[in-house]
Amino acid sequence: MAAKDPDSGGSGEILPITPSLSETTSGVTAASQATQPPSSSSDVDTVYVPSYSRWFTWTGIDDCEVRSLPEFFNSKSTSKNPKFYMYLRNSIIKQYRDDHPRKISFTDVRRTLVSDVVSIRRVFYFLEYWGLINHSSSSSAKPLKWDEKSAGDASSEPPTTAKETAKRICNGCKSICSVACFVCDKYELTLCARCYVRGNYRVGINSTEFKRVELSEESKKVWSEKETLQLMEAVMHYGDDWKKVATHVTGRTEKDCVSQFVKLPFGEQFVKESDSEDSLEAFDQIKGSADLESGGSDKEGSSPNKRLRLTPLADASNPIMAQAAFLSALAGTKVAEAAARAAVTALSDVDYEAEKNATGDPNRQDANANSGGEITNSERDWADAKSLIQKEEQEVEGAIKEIVEVEMRKVRDRIVHFEKLDLEMERSRKQLEDMKNLLFTDQLNIFFHTRKARKSEDRVDVKT
Amino acid sequence: MKALGSSGWKGPVKFRMPTAENLVPIRLDIQSEGQRYKDAFTWNPSDPDNEVVVFAKRTVKDLKLPSAFITQIAQSIQSQLSDFRAYEGQDMYTGEKIIPIKLDLRVNHTLIKDQFLWDLNNFESDPEEFARTLCKDLGVEDPEVGPAVAFAIREQLYEIAIQSVASARESRLSKKGRRGSDHGSASKASGLSMDLVKLFSFKSSVVRKRKDLDVYEPVVDLLTSEEVDALEAREERHAR
Repeated sequence: MAAKDPDSGGSGEILPITPSLSETTSGVTAASQATQPPSSSSDVDTVYVPSYSRWFTWTGIDDCEVRSLPEFFNSKSTSKNPKFYMYLRNSIIKQYRDDHPRKISFTDVRRTLVSDVVSIRRVFYFLEYWGLINHSSSSSAKPLKWDEKSAGDASSEPPTTAKETAKRICNGCKSICSVACFVCDKYELTLCARCYVRGNYRVGINSTEFKRVELSEESKKVWSEKETLQLMEAVMHYGDDWKKVATHVTGRTEKDCVSQFVKLPFGEQFVKESDSEDSLEAFDQIKGSADLESGGSDKEGSSPNKRLRLTPLADASNPIMAQAAFLSALAGTKVAEAAARAAVTALSDVDYEAEKNATGDPNRQDANANSGGEITNSERDWADAKSLIQKEEQEVEGAIKEIVEVEMRKVRDRIVHFEKLDLEMERSRKQLEDMKNLLFTDQLNIFFHTRKARKSEDRVDVKT
Repeated sequence: MKALGSSGWKGPVKFRMPTAENLVPIRLDIQSEGQRYKDAFTWNPSDPDNEVVVFAKRTVKDLKLPSAFITQIAQSIQSQLSDFRAYEGQDMYTGEKIIPIKLDLRVNHTLIKDQFLWDLNNFESDPEEFARTLCKDLGVEDPEVGPAVAFAIREQLYEIAIQSVASARESRLSKKGRRGSDHGSASKASGLSMDLVKLFSFKSSVVRKRKDLDVYEPVVDLLTSEEVDALEAREERHAR
């Protein structure tokens, strides 16, 4: 048969591989591992392998295989080892290529391989998904919808790979969770929807302990309004406890919550007052730098980045600070130094309020330019909420002032009272002293008088 | 050697297949709407239950069977799995048992007859590995022979494991408190097992007796199509 036209409607480029039909017999397939296929004559059919599967070799195991079929590589059982996996994989591919272009069915394969059928099924599905078997350029239809990390090269991506980096494997059935997940943080379990419904988890765990995590939404970087609202509520309630925040926001992990929160142009209430202005800058700047490509002004584009790095470093208790610290560490010492110097001068010159408004506006404009009026609405809400909170702050300050004054007055009155008492005491003491003196003089007088009297008595006696 | 014999009694083990992988042999024989589906394969009981339905659907699709088969296949697999699981909590005594395993199967055009000794106590044994090696060494060309051999071995091991559970239960019920030699006699009563002591005592040698040589040798026959048909017809007659 003539070789197929490689451009016939396939997704991505397709590499031709010439199989070694003439070399091996199917009998040996089941028992031994495949060897490298030598190039064969040109009158043999060419098998097409999609470009995203070009990692495949007969004698090696690629990273994506380890990731997709971890059961063979986690050394939990002695017979499910990589060698066994290679036996299965190579046998299946060889069988397919022997009978190419006929599509090979799972039942054909599992009848000829010495193994338990479910392992065979997993390897079979994996190979089918990656186009290594049953691949035809005409069927550019979507392969099975699995969440998979995109393989090594930038070009080698299977068709439906999402941008999602995290991949969830169900602890119960050891398959990759595609649609929705149930996560139990207490025992660190992840179950796919099926296992959760069937109760396929450990005995001690309640179904209420699981939190539903939507995987299809998780992969999107865009936060919906509802989620952002939940995030704000949660942060207001729980402050720095990101675990609780993550539970309050449905469908987002802690990390996502933190990074999203940092991106919000609004959050100084959760930072210590001394740092509030700096961190406020940081938030605006982070937001500003995120919207940079949609056309913030150059000056504000560059100085935000610098100011970003100024914020105090390594305050690990505050995740926002930690992120700022991390970014400044990323920038390098020289850049950070220059940035710090520039930032210090800028900070001392510029009025914070004006700066805040200035960066707030282009942010809002950028948001308008972006898709989603919803983003603009939430921006406005944040600005309103911001001003409201400022007013409250001022009120609180006034109230505190009054209280302090009243207390001061009280204290003063008491002091006056005590002074009066003291005076009284002094007076009475003085009186006492006077009286003592008087008494003393009286006593003296009496004494003298008696003495005189006695003396005169003696004289009288002597005279007679 | 004698010392080895006297320490022959081992404590009870939890029931499981005495192999490295705890795989269950599943046999299917379903007849419906005039079509008959016979199959035999191994299943891993720790796989999730949804796999059963997936497997049933895929098999029906591949073999182009009517869709009524899906539920029947799934049910049959499930019931065999639950039987297996019912045994799992219970104790079994393995003792020092070496059992002969017999193979006598026909797969498409290949006929295999073999007998060999299997150590029931070796929980690291691997029937799959054995089957693969057997086919490779004997130059068996049909790839379907391997799984059939592995299945046959597993089936027999399963049977013996079930028997040992039953005997453990019996001995516990009937003779409470007495141990040791009773278990030895119970295992001997199963008829087929041999004692290590007898086998490896200083009186006998490890070399097999001549008359046993033919029995323990594998025989592979390739049949012609007519012979296959004849055999199939005979089997069906027996089945009825």
